[in-house]
Amino acid sequence: MTRTILVAGSGGVGKTTLSAALGVAAARSGAKTLVLTVDPARRLADALGMEQLGNVPTETNQEGLSAAMLDASAAWDALVDRHAPPDVAERLHASPYFRAIADRFPAGQSYAACEQMADHIDERFWDVVVVDTPPAEGGIDFFLAPGRVRRLVGGRLLRWLTGASLPGRRRLYSFTARPALRMADAIVGGPLLEEVAEFLLDLRALYDGVTRRARQIERQLKRAKTLVVTTAHPSPLAEATRFFTELPDAAGKPTSVAFNRALPPDWAAASSTDSGPLAENLKRWASESQRQLDAREAFGAQHRVEPAVIPWVAEAPTSLSQLGQLVRSAQGLDLEALGAVLAHSPGPP
Amino acid sequence: MLRWLGVFERRVLIVTGKGGTGRSAVSAALAIKAARQGQRVLAVAMTDVLGLALHLGVPQLEYKPVQTRPGVWALAIDRTAALDEYIHLQLHLPRAAPLKPVARTFSALADTVPGIRDAVTIGKICWEAWSDEWDLIIADGPPLGQIDSYLRAPEAIAALVPSGRVQEQAAAMEELLADPNESGLIVTTLAEELPTLETNENLALFDERQSCQVAEVMVNGLLAELGAEVPLGQGPLRDAAVLHQQLHEGQQKWLSELPQGIQLPYLFGMLTAPEVAARLSEELP
Repeated sequence: MTRTILVAGSGGVGKTTLSAALGVAAARSGAKTLVLTVDPARRLADALGMEQLGNVPTETNQEGLSAAMLDASAAWDALVDRHAPPDVAERLHASPYFRAIADRFPAGQSYAACEQMADHIDERFWDVVVVDTPPAEGGIDFFLAPGRVRRLVGGRLLRWLTGASLPGRRRLYSFTARPALRMADAIVGGPLLEEVAEFLLDLRALYDGVTRRARQIERQLKRAKTLVVTTAHPSPLAEATRFFTELPDAAGKPTSVAFNRALPPDWAAASSTDSGPLAENLKRWASESQRQLDAREAFGAQHRVEPAVIPWVAEAPTSLSQLGQLVRSAQGLDLEALGAVLAHSPGPP
Repeated sequence: MLRWLGVFERRVLIVTGKGGTGRSAVSAALAIKAARQGQRVLAVAMTDVLGLALHLGVPQLEYKPVQTRPGVWALAIDRTAALDEYIHLQLHLPRAAPLKPVARTFSALADTVPGIRDAVTIGKICWEAWSDEWDLIIADGPPLGQIDSYLRAPEAIAALVPSGRVQEQAAAMEELLADPNESGLIVTTLAEELPTLETNENLALFDERQSCQVAEVMVNGLLAELGAEVPLGQGPLRDAAVLHQQLHEGQQKWLSELPQGIQLPYLFGMLTAPEVAARLSEELP
């Protein structure tokens, strides 16, 4: 069975780089590995030896490792083609409201990313799929998206508006909703809301398909191992906390947390008898190191995890060997627990 | 100083930036700074409540403004409540109207048609600006990738709706946001590859759209020059100097790609979010 690793966390903490590094480690252990990423830095694509990253998995410079983008924008169209009857799909594609949803529904892009992930897992071709999850809403959006989208297409309000069952196209909205729609239209000064209601009715045609698919995705999320990435700064830490306290049952608890951009712990106690800029500089970094130690300890105690620690390197990795080095230099990052490597696999040479 | 007086003379400042560039911290710091200058400030969490609440040092924010410190009030936009307020107060719905079903209809639509959601969110900021209760509104806004759709929401609504009060409101909102004397964007960024590229892309977009002008670009987390040669030998004194030097060089490279903005220092040893906001407000020029 394909082992899935979800790399989660808020924006700017180094998820994409770490995902690639995990992918390299998995591939080097002999697993056929796919890294799915959002928005990779140019230099990372270079490091993997890739001209361009598309939706289709492409081999990287690392033997056994392929990579692809999670492209959210095209995915809503695919969703409609997959789940709606052809005539409804045609109307939806042409609808301005649908475009608005595809572009802007907050959970939409995350859900689209979820579906793409699920498609790759379903291929059953890969031993390991590493997912660099989109950072929307502090990153937790990705995990909540299937449930939200299920509620969007099957939501109580929508049902109230269009009636409990799927009526024929001419009987657009339920008896109870009709007067309210008229009223609402009087307020906005035109038939806008009736048009929207028609659109919603079409959207409901997706209900069965999307509900089934969203449930499958929720099961995949539950089976996956989640690595939460953070730095010791207050904002990302608060987001990291949400992964341990707010994830829905559908998504299972995070397997571990990695503190990125960590300073050597022995800097905390370091001091210099010199005076001058270098000693001042060391003092600042020492206070930073101490703060990081405190933050890791507090987080570990609160959530009963042993945080992994990834050293702060000034230059983002620009080569495969640097990506490999990143994982090797990490302390307490349990690759077996994450499913990146198997317990008895021949490790990297 | 003069520069800030100019920025704070506006009625609405919306803080945006790529994820992880310190939007909430900067929003809180600006609110604290403006309040210190004697302004009555409303800080608004537009999309993400957690960050602003943390940096203002309160456990939670609600739709009703609460005072978080002298001169600073804060609220979080709740879409349902904002819709309700819109229907009742802004649209002056007649008394006899079946309020509940109408509100439910709008609510269903707002969940589905994002233009409405965005318009009501940005609308709440405009209504507060028009209320004359505040000297300045500082909104902790959505990330760069989403801000454009919020700013253009009034225009989108105005185009969808044939006539009437909704359209008038939308037009007034558009006008308030586009007026550089009344409103401005604060763009936070970092001197790193992806934030720099995304910032420059979006600055060009804001320039083209003219839906709201950029008041300031703020570059966060900058390291000062080391101020000495990296020492020889071994140990933390050298290692810290090497890391500092390398990070500083990398930052300078990206900084040269960014427009002239306000430069904010990396804050060493900050344990809590309110500490960060307080320090940052002191670091503002």
